[in-house]
Order: sequence, then C-alpha cells, then structure tokens
Amino acid sequence: MMINSLMNKYLGLIAFCIVFFSCKHEGDKYHGVMEKIQVEGNHYEGTSISSENYLEGLETIEISEGGQTFLIPERKSHIKSFACTECHSKPLAEMQEADIKKAHWDIKIVHANENTMNCVTCHNPSNMDELHSLTGKSIDFNNSYNLCSQCHSKQFEDWKGGAHGKRIGGWAPPRASMTCVNCHNPHQPHFESRWPARFNTQKVKERE
Amino acid sequence: MSRSNKKWFSLNLGRKQHDNSGSCGCGKTSGGCGSHSNDSEMSEEEFYNAAVDASIGDEREKDGFDQVFDVKMDRRTAFRKLTASLLIGAGAVNTSCNVLSSDESKEKAQIDWEEQFKGNYKLMTDDEKKGTVDRLVRSYQMRTGKTVSMSSKNAEEDVLFGYAFNISKCQGYMDCVSACVKENNQDRNSQMQYIRIHEMKDGEGLKFDEADDNYYHEVPAEGHFYLGTQCFHCDNPPCVEVCPVQATWREDDGLVVVDYDWCVGCRYCMAACPYDGRRFNWSKPEVPEEEVNHNQHYLGNRMRKKGVMEKCTFCVQRSRAGKNPACVEACPTGARIFGNLLDPNSTIRWVLENKKVFRLKEDLGTEPKFWYFMD
Repeated sequence: MMINSLMNKYLGLIAFCIVFFSCKHEGDKYHGVMEKIQVEGNHYEGTSISSENYLEGLETIEISEGGQTFLIPERKSHIKSFACTECHSKPLAEMQEADIKKAHWDIKIVHANENTMNCVTCHNPSNMDELHSLTGKSIDFNNSYNLCSQCHSKQFEDWKGGAHGKRIGGWAPPRASMTCVNCHNPHQPHFESRWPARFNTQKVKERE
Repeated sequence: MSRSNKKWFSLNLGRKQHDNSGSCGCGKTSGGCGSHSNDSEMSEEEFYNAAVDASIGDEREKDGFDQVFDVKMDRRTAFRKLTASLLIGAGAVNTSCNVLSSDESKEKAQIDWEEQFKGNYKLMTDDEKKGTVDRLVRSYQMRTGKTVSMSSKNAEEDVLFGYAFNISKCQGYMDCVSACVKENNQDRNSQMQYIRIHEMKDGEGLKFDEADDNYYHEVPAEGHFYLGTQCFHCDNPPCVEVCPVQATWREDDGLVVVDYDWCVGCRYCMAACPYDGRRFNWSKPEVPEEEVNHNQHYLGNRMRKKGVMEKCTFCVQRSRAGKNPACVEACPTGARIFGNLLDPNSTIRWVLENKKVFRLKEDLGTEPKFWYFMD
C-alpha cells in the first residue's frame, strides 16, 4: 500500500509537470495578436524611425482636426492660375461679353447635380481668391477639406483617422496625408474606370 | 585554415594571408603541377547550375503526381545529388591552386566557398550578417560590374508591422502588383507576383473559388468588388512551423522572412500556408539588368536563385527604413494602409479600433496581421 501511494504521488507530480510546462513555449504569451498589440503598445515610447526625409521638397501645412494633428500638401502654389483675382477683377457677366479667349473651357462639373451644386456653392463670387461654406463663411484654398466635409462627413471622419486618404512619405511619424483634392478632382470627383496595369499571360498558360 | 570565432568552417584560399605555399597537394608553389588541368575548371555559372540542378533537377518540368512516381534514380543521379555541394568546394580549391587564375577569380572562389558554407542568417551575429551582405555585394559586382546596396538592418524595438486593406476603395487597377514586381526583383519569365487581386461578384460574399484573379477588362467592372491577397505575415505562421531547416521565421517586428540561402526548396511552407502567400522559383529568376532594383535587403528583394521559396516581405528593405511598402505607395486609391501596430497614434491602429475589420480564415488561429475593412 505504501509503495502504491508513493507511486500515485509521483505520477501526480509528473502529470502536473507535463500540464504545467508543456503549454509554455515562446510565442504563446498572448491569446492573439490583438492582445499582443494592446499589451505591448501600452508602453510604447516611439522609435528612431522617421519619414521626415521622404517629405523633403514637399510643401506642407500642419492641421489639427478631431484630435489628430497631421500634414497635408499645400495647395495654392499648385493651382496654375492662382491668384484668381488676377483675371477675376470685374463681374463675371462683363468678362463673358469681352471678345477674349475662353478660360476654364475644360472644366466640366460632374459633382452631385445642378439642383444641388453650381460654381458658387464652393467658390466665393465676391472674393474669387477664396472658397466659402454653405453659410457663407470663407474657406482658404489650402483648407478646402472644410468644404468637402460639409456633405461628406463620413469620409471626413475616416480621413481624419487615416482610413481614407493616402499617406505621403512613409508609415513612420510625422504623418502626412493627401487632402481631398489631391486624389479627387473637385469638379469631377469620381475615379475613372481604366484597364488594369498588367495581365499575367503565364498564369493563363498554367491554368489551361 | 579557419579564422577564429566562426560558427562554420572556412577555407582560406590564399588571398591576402600568405600561407598558401604548398596548398596544392603536389607541394610545388610555382608553375602548374599537372594535377589540375585548366579544362577541368568549371565556371561559376556551371558550379551554380550543378548545385541547383542537384536539388531540384528536372523536377521543375513536372508537377504533383509525376514528381512522386516518375522518378528515375540511377546510380549517377544519386551520386550527383550527393556531391553537389562538394563541387563548389572542389572548384574553389581548384581555382585557388591554379597559379594561372587571376587574383579576382581566387576572390570569387573564396566568396563562393564562404557563401556555400555560411550559417543560417537567423543565427548570425550582426558582424556575420554584415559579412555575408558584403560578400554578396562584392560577388554581384564581380559578376555584373554593377554595384548594389544591400542592407542587413535588424528589426527595430517597439515596431510590429500591420496592414489594412479597404475593400470598398480598391478598384482593381493592379498598380500594386506592377510596383511589387519591380520593387522586389521578381522573375519576369514566370511572371511571378506576390499580390493577387480577386475580382468578386457583389452580394455573394467572399468566394475565392469563383473569383477571378487574372482579369483583363476595364475596371472596376459593373457589379464586382476587388480584394487583394498576399503574405499576411501571420503572428502564428504555419509556414514557419513546417520548415524542416528553419529557413523561414518571424522577425521581432512581425515580418515573416525567408533566408534564400538556407532554403532547401522542399515547399512544405507553400503547402502549409492557408492563404497561397508563397511562391517558388521553378527556374532561375531573370530580371533585365537595367530593371534590377539596387536598393536591397538580405531578407527582402536581393536576387534569388532557382529552387528557393520567396514571398511578400512587406518590402523589408523599405519598411525598416520608414517607407511604405511599394504596393501601398503605388495604390492610387489609398485602399492600402500600413503602419506600426504598437504605436497607439498610428493610422493602422485607428483603423483597427474604429472600422469593422476582419481577417481571412480567422478560425485557423494563424493570427494574420492583415485586416480588411469597408468604408
């Protein structure tokens, strides 16, 4: 009987050891990658990696929206004929009468519909160098996202967080993101359909 | 013969250190001894081909059933398979002993030897990593006359790479695929591509068997959406588990990488991957010299050989330097988001915390670090 109980004790100890140590191996510290991110992210102190170098030569402005501070490309210097008042010094009706070459002949408005939008929904007719909101508050061309966000509020939320709008430079801080008009032509904001960049002829052969 | 503090045997072929007197078995130090004739010397190309042929040989012509049942293993093939590695060594010794061969070919032979018998990259110290990278750069320079820059940068502290893909944004343009092929020096002959874009029908869920990943018509097609797949850099990668030689592993920053020089080409990882994330080089990868991307990383886009596995590395040569992977940079729609999962202020974290994200085959417990979401 003594030997038997001793054996049982030993067996119990061995079983315990197996259960206790066998499941412990490296990489099993967390129940999943989400938990790993949460726990290890708690004592995040920044890295030495920066994408500052990749933003060189790009003129940016810093904006703070909804608790997020990031850079967007400066806009005004990229508008070919800015400032607008260099031409738009008199009322539009008078300019259209004059026998001069047409400007902006290539601009077509394919944005919402005529009942909703026309030129002056966005452009400020009393100061052509600025845009204006639906209630007539002036908006700088550099901050044109304020104009878009009046209707596209869902996209605006995603953009502030970083789910909408492409990153410029690298993944590392500081964050620089494209602003609305860098990808969407404000007059025709949709993306054009086109042909794919490549076609894999080898794959076709392999699958024949 | 071997230098100190080395994990593997190294043979000094008489370059710089002047101890090669009599290293040729005949004892003579000048003139040909006759035991090595010039015509027995193989070019590097031949050594290389012999070695690779020995590992996969004519299996590249066959597939599946044929490879298992249609194997001719005569004495000669068996012998060839056994001596493949020795060829390189023997060739190296041969070249070194040959007084007619130039200093440069001796250097080549020395590099070949060191490269053939070096250890697993995973176990190397930083100095050893630098050593092999320097040898590979020098070797490439001697072979092609072109200089590449190759990095052996390690994973950074406090970095865990993650990726998010916006299904609503992807238009199926495949600019990412093109950029990936160029960035990562993928074989142009077999048209290898790491990324696949699946064209799926609206309203029918994710049916990969019915999706088309090689469409060629104007996109986006009416009534379809697009979903891209590539290596998901699982946190619990099954490919790593099955590798019999530990030639693939997960780095500390979460990247699952391959040591192309340690891989034996068994393709277990390819079979183990539930996402078709891995690619095999059935033939020697060919990239026109003028199209080679010279900004390389040992674990990334350096030139591969025939008979080894490769796959997406989240462009390790770019991402460890702070850049976005080539696919992210090329995407004109901003459907691809990349960043540091451990940084609570990163955009990738915002996506994970604010969008309804999902991953493919989550039930397998592979824990991919690649999430999908919609607007």
